Amino acid sequence: MIIEAGVAIVVALGAFWTFSGEKEVCNEINFNKYGLKNDLETKLYGQHIAAEVILKTVTGFMENKNPKKPLVLSLHGWTGTGKTFVSQLIAENIYKKKMKSSFVHLFSVTTHFPHKAHIDKYKTQLQEWIRGNVSICPRSMFIFDEMDKMPLELIDSIKPYLDFSDNLDGVSYRQAIFIFLSNAGAMMINDVTMKFWRDGKEREEIQLKDLETVLSQSVFNNEDSGFWHTSLIDRHLVDFFVPFLPLEYKHVIQCGLAEMARQGFTPDNNVVKRMTDDLIFFPEEERVFSLQGCKLIPNKLRFYIP
Amino acid sequence: MRLRCRLLFAGCVWWSVSITAAIEPISTSIAVGMAAALTGFLARYQNVFYYFQECCRPEWISYNKTGLKNDLNTKLYGQHVASEVILKAVTGFMNNENPKKPLVLSLHGWTGTGKNFVSQLIAENIYQKGMTSNFVHLFTATAHFPHEAHIDNYKTQLQEWIRGNVSICPRSMFIFDEMDKMHPGLIDSIKPYLDFYDNLNGVSYRKAIFIFLSNAGGEKIVEVALNFWRDGREREEIHLKDLETALSLSVFNNKNSGFWHTSLIDKNLVDFFVPFLPLEYKHVIQCGLAEMVSKGHAPDKEVVEIMAHDLNYFPKEERVFSMQGCKIIPARLDFYI
Repeated sequence: MIIEAGVAIVVALGAFWTFSGEKEVCNEINFNKYGLKNDLETKLYGQHIAAEVILKTVTGFMENKNPKKPLVLSLHGWTGTGKTFVSQLIAENIYKKKMKSSFVHLFSVTTHFPHKAHIDKYKTQLQEWIRGNVSICPRSMFIFDEMDKMPLELIDSIKPYLDFSDNLDGVSYRQAIFIFLSNAGAMMINDVTMKFWRDGKEREEIQLKDLETVLSQSVFNNEDSGFWHTSLIDRHLVDFFVPFLPLEYKHVIQCGLAEMARQGFTPDNNVVKRMTDDLIFFPEEERVFSLQGCKLIPNKLRFYIP
Repeated sequence: MRLRCRLLFAGCVWWSVSITAAIEPISTSIAVGMAAALTGFLARYQNVFYYFQECCRPEWISYNKTGLKNDLNTKLYGQHVASEVILKAVTGFMNNENPKKPLVLSLHGWTGTGKNFVSQLIAENIYQKGMTSNFVHLFTATAHFPHEAHIDNYKTQLQEWIRGNVSICPRSMFIFDEMDKMHPGLIDSIKPYLDFYDNLNGVSYRKAIFIFLSNAGGEKIVEVALNFWRDGREREEIHLKDLETALSLSVFNNKNSGFWHTSLIDKNLVDFFVPFLPLEYKHVIQCGLAEMVSKGHAPDKEVVEIMAHDLNYFPKEERVFSMQGCKIIPARLDFYI
């Protein structure tokens, strides 16, 4: 009798412990403007344009109780320059559970939509997924990585959600955020940045307008780009094209020092310098920009730490 | 795996509790006494059940740095660059509690120089069961993905396999042999797992290790090694830097390479390109002597020298490097003993 009672109590405690836990609530989504500003200033290196555009657009959007259309950002640039990182920073300053939040949805094109033959199935699934999640929580965030590999038909299928309509089949998408990441246009951005460097101008003199027009046209005209010939651009559904500049030696050093601190070591300039010297820079003669950006630093750094 | 271990544990406790309900006073008190002793023992040594079955726990997965260092120094011949890179890269990664991305190593080089061997050494010094561990997965492109027509099938299966296994055990290891023969579309399909995502479809791949083995870039490495030899410089003077740049560009541009036109490199997801130098006569001798010992014979230098002498060397004039490396030795040696 006592044993049975004891077992019952243990089972009850066990069930309670298993099933309780923090449940995420859509109403508790809270945008931390100062957090995002701080993160962009201290954790993101070499992207003065992107930092400014992101902060202003996201702040403006999140502080607007009744946006007229969902926020659609298209982040473009060379590898390892911070595109995925910035989307994480945005998520971290909006959702309590950050990238693990059930309201943040990350799609990697080669993972989620691998077979061209199944495109119709993907279309349906994707549309249902977006529709279902936005109806549960209007302030949802959708990140699409490797947009340059996304089939045109699939991009076209999500177009309606990015538009101005208040009510699409009973759901309003106006409070959602869509972020597209791709390498499309990276060469163009690199060319512009290189030109400024060759003309002896400061990197910080590059402004959004130097890049934006050129970028949207190149992305639109490039037959390999996922955006080519889609109405995503000519319908002006993308609010902002955010360019990411290729990183220079000094930015890689900054990344390295920050990563050393993050891994619990005392930042050592010599160690980071040795690592950076071994990385590959382009173009061949001038060797200004890092080929890998900051991407390989976390694992490479351990090689140089004594 | 984890659930199974826990269930085994819970099952034992439940059994000891339930048994007491069925028997009369004296036996009951003995049984209760035993149960109490067992519970006390288990409370103190909670991990004892984990030793019976391989689980994704420190009892089965534990990095042995000195072991790997020792193995690389004593069992691997002629690869001073690869030894150093492997030891540092693996040590750094395994010591990191929160890696930002999975460790991705790409081992390149001539045949018979130790690429597969080194992946075995790594596995043996991380997993108790070495290459036979449930958490180590070896794919050979020509064996596992032979038909180009079925590429879509392979993609799905491979993605599911990786995803399933990493969710069971984050510290999983995946070795892909013959990468130069792997279809570029298939390589592209595993790319996302090598990236920085904290959460891809509910799974984090950041603690996994991916090792790619191939012959791609082998000629380039041989070229560099030969140049050093012709300049009369010591083999040990060759540094990673001399090889790395040439290697990554050549691997990318070689249309026959599995990496060609894939984003593995231009996305820069490979943390380290590890070059394996072609082996010289003296290394073949070392391999031969070690092989004699492992076969249970007393090492005999003369026998090994005769065997090494009969092997093929290249280039044609200088005859510096062994064509087959150490690969052919186990079979050949029997002929000479």
